[in-house]
Amino acid sequence: MVRVSRVLLRDGVGISKTLSEILVCPLSKQPLRVCEESNSLIRDAIGVAYPVSPYIVDGIPCLVPSDGKIIEADDKPKPDDNSMRKDP
Amino acid sequence: MASLHLSFCQLAGNRPPSHRSGRLPVRCADERQALFNRIAPVYDNLNDLLSLVQHRVWKRMAVSWSGAKIGDNVLDLCCGSGDLAFLMSEKVGPAGQVIGLDFSKEQLLIASSRQHSRPKACYKNIKWVEGDALNLPFPDSYSNAITIGYGLRNVVDKQKAMKEMYRVLRPGSKVSVLDFNKSTNPFTASFQEWMIDTVVVPAASGFGLAKEYRYLNSSIQEFLTGKELEKLALETGFSNARYFEVGGGLMGNLVATR
Repeated sequence: MVRVSRVLLRDGVGISKTLSEILVCPLSKQPLRVCEESNSLIRDAIGVAYPVSPYIVDGIPCLVPSDGKIIEADDKPKPDDNSMRKDP
Repeated sequence: MASLHLSFCQLAGNRPPSHRSGRLPVRCADERQALFNRIAPVYDNLNDLLSLVQHRVWKRMAVSWSGAKIGDNVLDLCCGSGDLAFLMSEKVGPAGQVIGLDFSKEQLLIASSRQHSRPKACYKNIKWVEGDALNLPFPDSYSNAITIGYGLRNVVDKQKAMKEMYRVLRPGSKVSVLDFNKSTNPFTASFQEWMIDTVVVPAASGFGLAKEYRYLNSSIQEFLTGKELEKLALETGFSNARYFEVGGGLMGNLVATR
């Protein structure tokens, strides 16, 4: 929880907590996981990461399906590394 | 006066192009996205100029018809530079939440810049998301109201867009769809086509965008009439659908209730 708070407070990086709690994967409609290392929203079940724009405070997340990046198997963080995981 | 909103549709499969006055056929979603990115810097000023600021009146009507109220969670799809999102923000107030979604990053950056340059406290309730109107990143029954201004005509699959809007609306809530009116009145249709050819395209050429706006007429021709929009909404599952002509019949607004 402390790691997430630090990301949210940094100017120009990160996504608002409000948005991260609302947004779902545009394809599966299932909840997303915030990944601080890659500044993206991840749907582990289908192995896709959606980027968050760092251009402004409260970055604009890009949830266009074609802009989602396929995550390589060894790129996926371990489950207990993520403090804002919303689904098992 | 005609408002200045671009319009492109995808030419699907082997369907022959249908367009007014023998104009060029439509383009794909990628080209359309690039186009909206290109016009972003002049979009707002050109809208004011070409509609003699009437587009602001039509947008206020669209927001009123959406039924948005204080404390609501609302969406503005195909939000562009944010005109409707800002109006929705005033309707729902600081206790509410507005999400503006668009597939043009350049338009969203302008919207965000406008948000941070304006003093109204309620605008803090607006968040921007780059996304696809055909694959909305929101859960079922999330929203109390949806607006979409000059967007439905531009999506490549209007049926799918309506289904997505239906999915994310809470039961009993409304979507308000503002766009050019595809009039069944020959006089109105001719006048609209003449206005676009004689006023809109020449004005756009002053900004180096004549080519982009020349497609408006064919786009309107490929759009749905008011009756067809009502039918589409009812077939999608909306319990009620009504279409209102505004701006002397040049514009139209569909109001559909889930």
